[in-house]
Amino acid sequence: MTEAKTSDGENAADNPILYVARPMATAARQFAKSLRRPSTIVYPYERLEDPRFRDQVAVEPGRPIGVGQVWDNYRGVHALNIATCISCNLCAFSCPDICIEMVTVPGDDPKHPKKCPQIDYGKCSYCGFCSDACPEGCLTMTTRYELSTPHRAEMVYSPQKLNEVFRSKLPMNPIRLELPENEDRILLDPPLCIGCNACARDCPTQCITMLDVPRPDAKPGEKLPKRIWKEPVVNDSDCVRCGTCISVCPKECLFWGSRP
Amino acid sequence: MSSATLYSVSYALAALILNVIGFIIPPIRAPITNVDVVTVLAVLIFGALLLAASMLNTILLIWWERKLLGRFMDRRGAMHVGFAGLLQNFADGFKLFRKNTFQPAEADTLGFYSGPTAYMVTSMILFGILPISSGWNSGSLPLSLLLALAIFSFAPLFIFVSAWSSNNKYSLMGGMRSAAQMIAYEVPILLAVVSVVILSGSFSLTTIVYEQQNYWFWGPLVVALIVFVAAMLAEMERIPFDLPEAEAELVEGWNTEYGGMLFAFFMLADYLRALVGSILVVLLFLGGWTLPTWVPSAATSFPLAGILWFMLKTYLVFGLFVWVRASLPRVRTDQLLRVGWNRMIPLALLSVFLAAALVTVRCVPVFGCVPSAGA
Repeated sequence: MTEAKTSDGENAADNPILYVARPMATAARQFAKSLRRPSTIVYPYERLEDPRFRDQVAVEPGRPIGVGQVWDNYRGVHALNIATCISCNLCAFSCPDICIEMVTVPGDDPKHPKKCPQIDYGKCSYCGFCSDACPEGCLTMTTRYELSTPHRAEMVYSPQKLNEVFRSKLPMNPIRLELPENEDRILLDPPLCIGCNACARDCPTQCITMLDVPRPDAKPGEKLPKRIWKEPVVNDSDCVRCGTCISVCPKECLFWGSRP
Repeated sequence: MSSATLYSVSYALAALILNVIGFIIPPIRAPITNVDVVTVLAVLIFGALLLAASMLNTILLIWWERKLLGRFMDRRGAMHVGFAGLLQNFADGFKLFRKNTFQPAEADTLGFYSGPTAYMVTSMILFGILPISSGWNSGSLPLSLLLALAIFSFAPLFIFVSAWSSNNKYSLMGGMRSAAQMIAYEVPILLAVVSVVILSGSFSLTTIVYEQQNYWFWGPLVVALIVFVAAMLAEMERIPFDLPEAEAELVEGWNTEYGGMLFAFFMLADYLRALVGSILVVLLFLGGWTLPTWVPSAATSFPLAGILWFMLKTYLVFGLFVWVRASLPRVRTDQLLRVGWNRMIPLALLSVFLAAALVTVRCVPVFGCVPSAGA
């Protein structure tokens, strides 16, 4: 039994005042402090983003982080505005988890059913690429984060359900209204075009018009290609760069490029 | 002080029940409202009331510990079930009750099932001995303190039997350590109690309480109180002396192999013993259900005042145990034994000498005269 006190608690039993009284005083201080209000937030009844906790609960000394405020770039459940969705498929195309499927929503026009994204939150990684890609700003991400459910099928959110999220007016990412910054445009390789109208038919913004092209005179011995003598012209101010026309073109005559 | 006692209440209940039955079925009214029948039923109701009160208090004690420990750790305890989580422990109990009991292969069936049962039953018997308030006990036994401590020290035997019959060598080791610890700390507990007995001159808990009319015994016997509380912590296997059990490290130690209702028996018995420990501290050192004489008599004159003050003191003493649990780290085995043999027993002996000196002098300068320093 050595007389020297060691700082690592070796002789804890030999120093009852030091090793019993001091921790008990610390615990009592903590008890008195948390009697008024503990640092925990009773989650289902209270929420971290409730502004009334901004001054009450300090997670870290100094400025409370994440308490009482919601960051505007929070990435939670999506909100979909079906009315402005143009069915451009860009969200499903940009999704790295392949969790977005374009499904038909019952619209007013039965002949031309509208397709809107349906999101499987069992696969979603909340990267936000879809809302970045959305040209109309109709698919954004909100601050809702409660997704737990006992059934896997309920993890798949239909467009109508996403539209309800939109209607609930949650704080959401600022809707980006400006067009993509790249100067890429849809260009046409005229000799390949057959004038089939597929691009104009499928363009979500109806910015493609088929214009007549002059039918060249056939020289003797030359056989004119069998085609419709029309060519697509893209209205660049209306185009949202979704690329639908490129993917539907049967002759691969449309491509991305920058016009001089 | 109220004039109603536990027995009178149960007798009235029994008479009421039998008279109602007799009113509904008139032919049997005369035989069943006989005094002997009412007395037998009153005794049964007496036991049932004691059992219900002890179980209810045990479960409330678990709730009290969870809430207090939560505040010590800067959180809230159970919050969801019932008001402020009051019903959470009932829900936990029902969950354990519904579970299958699982018996390990080649475990000794008799020991495996009788160990936890006897552990809990011996803990519940204690509530028939401890007086709660004046009249609220099962008769003032002249040696009730001795009987209570004797039953209290049955526990190592049953723990050892349960651990041994689990057919698990680690459970057996844990049971051995638990039994060794409990037996080692019996000595300072008894020595601390001896000083109280010397000062009060009685082994009856009721008499000990009434001997504290002038001053509570924790004043002159503060050393004995410290020894008693520390040794009681070791007896209850609570932190910082919970090394046989060590929830996080040893997967519950000696009751590893127990699940379902048998585990609930251990859990309940642990808290029953914690409640008994708190009650003993209140009875021996804190004046039981009495209040100091300078307190206005209005505080003790309303009905059931004794029980109220007694339970208040008991829960505060248990709060002290929780405070210790929230503060101190677990000790090692060598530290445990060193504290037990090198510190506790000398301190308890010192307290015994102090009590003997007080009885000899008969008057304490600060606290006044010893009321009836007989013995």
